[in-house]
Amino acid sequence: MLMAEIVENSPAEAHVSLHDLRVHRGDRDLVRGLNVVVPRGSFVCVVGPSGAGKTSLLSCLAGMTEPGSGTITYRCLEKCDHAPAGFQKRLGLVFQHLRLSQNASVLTNVLSGLLGDLPWWKTLFGFSRKDKVRARALLADFELESYARVPVARLSGGEKQRTAICRALIQNPEVLLADEPISNLDTRLSRDVLKRFKAETRENHRTVFCVLHDPDLVAEFADYTLRLDKLCPDAWKLDRRPA
Amino acid sequence: METRPSSRVSEPRSKRTDGDSRLPTPINTFSVTLVLFLVAAVASLPVARGSGRQLDYLGNLTGFLQRFFPPNFSDWRPLLDAMVETFQMAVLATLVATLVSIPIAVAAANNISPAPVVRLARFLLVCIRSIPGLIWALLAVAVCGANPLAGIVGLSIYSMGYLGKFFSDAFESVDKGVAEALRATGADLIQGFQYGIWPHAKPFIWSQTLWMLEYNIRSASIIGYVGAGGIGIWLHTYQELGQWDRFAAVLCCILAIVLVLDFAGERIRKQFAPE
Repeated sequence: MLMAEIVENSPAEAHVSLHDLRVHRGDRDLVRGLNVVVPRGSFVCVVGPSGAGKTSLLSCLAGMTEPGSGTITYRCLEKCDHAPAGFQKRLGLVFQHLRLSQNASVLTNVLSGLLGDLPWWKTLFGFSRKDKVRARALLADFELESYARVPVARLSGGEKQRTAICRALIQNPEVLLADEPISNLDTRLSRDVLKRFKAETRENHRTVFCVLHDPDLVAEFADYTLRLDKLCPDAWKLDRRPA
Repeated sequence: METRPSSRVSEPRSKRTDGDSRLPTPINTFSVTLVLFLVAAVASLPVARGSGRQLDYLGNLTGFLQRFFPPNFSDWRPLLDAMVETFQMAVLATLVATLVSIPIAVAAANNISPAPVVRLARFLLVCIRSIPGLIWALLAVAVCGANPLAGIVGLSIYSMGYLGKFFSDAFESVDKGVAEALRATGADLIQGFQYGIWPHAKPFIWSQTLWMLEYNIRSASIIGYVGAGGIGIWLHTYQELGQWDRFAAVLCCILAIVLVLDFAGERIRKQFAPE
């Protein structure tokens, strides 16, 4: 096993801590002995070839899959430590396959990102006007305002992807986990999305884990790059972006 | 997977590559069930026996049908009232059945509910479906008396058996990834269902509800035979009195409304077809 690779920062600033994490799919280990401490407000790019375990790692971070061993700890703004299961309402997720409700409108899909903060009886007949105004503002930021009432099934791949990003951002998540969030977007929109993510890390001190493939975009936006190796689960590597 | 073998059989031999070792086999699910069906049909022939007398079937038929023509619409006013009552019974029964079926269908959907609950709910639905609608109406008449309320109760129970099954199939056909995604960010079970499953299942459910309404109007036309209200009472009355021209008028009314509903229902259901 490689030596623990710890980002140079004080533990007090740690936002996400992965300790001796083993990520597996079936019998196969994808990542082993992952030791990483990520400070609050970081943009972490997760890179690696297909099948290296990027999506599985994000799934563990989201609490949707149990890691084989090791721990994931989130430190909230109140300085308390949480396992992923107790931190779900503060996580924003952009899934590789989006997981949008195809027959619901774009606006409803975006608003459904707020469900974790609202009891069921408040959302039984829809969302408040205030929430809708927020959602529409977010849609405007992503050039989707004219599609608010359109069912997601009628959107293009890129429009769906931006809808999924809006659904994650409306939560105001402390940590954003985005799995290939720009795979269907053109160059300009890709940069706009990543700039927005970067702004969230800088202005709102959110931490972003983002799976990316484009080395130029990784070099441009990443504070840290977590490289996973398909052939050797121990050979992960965390690079700090050159100053 | 029943379609695969049959689709391979229909493929011309010349189009197959030499390396394809999956040659069509004459024994597959389609051919086996077809042969079983034909054997059962042959074995059932003895049941199609007549009275033993030499009857003039064609003469009987033409003689009987002649009494239907021309249909006698002289009692149009009570017939119209009975048609309206039939329609109202069907609408109310469909509404009640839909409302009750949704929670039962949730319980019967194996991607939503735990296995013991699913088994119990499915058993209940099978029990309801196994009893014909006319028998449910008969039971309802025994409880509520001979009136349209009995018809509504009978049709509601019978419809629940079918709608519960259709709705649970609709819920099970939904990709549960959306609900899981919402649950992963803190949505509770009800919210996961409302925003993750319901939007996908809704077009199917509405389509099935409209189909059930059509079906219930047909059923409501006949349950009057056992005293459960609707236009069926007139069918029964005219049959008892041997007034076949008036009987034919009732049949014309039923045919008209069913044709209109069939046409309208088809068009409406297409509008709600899932994208």
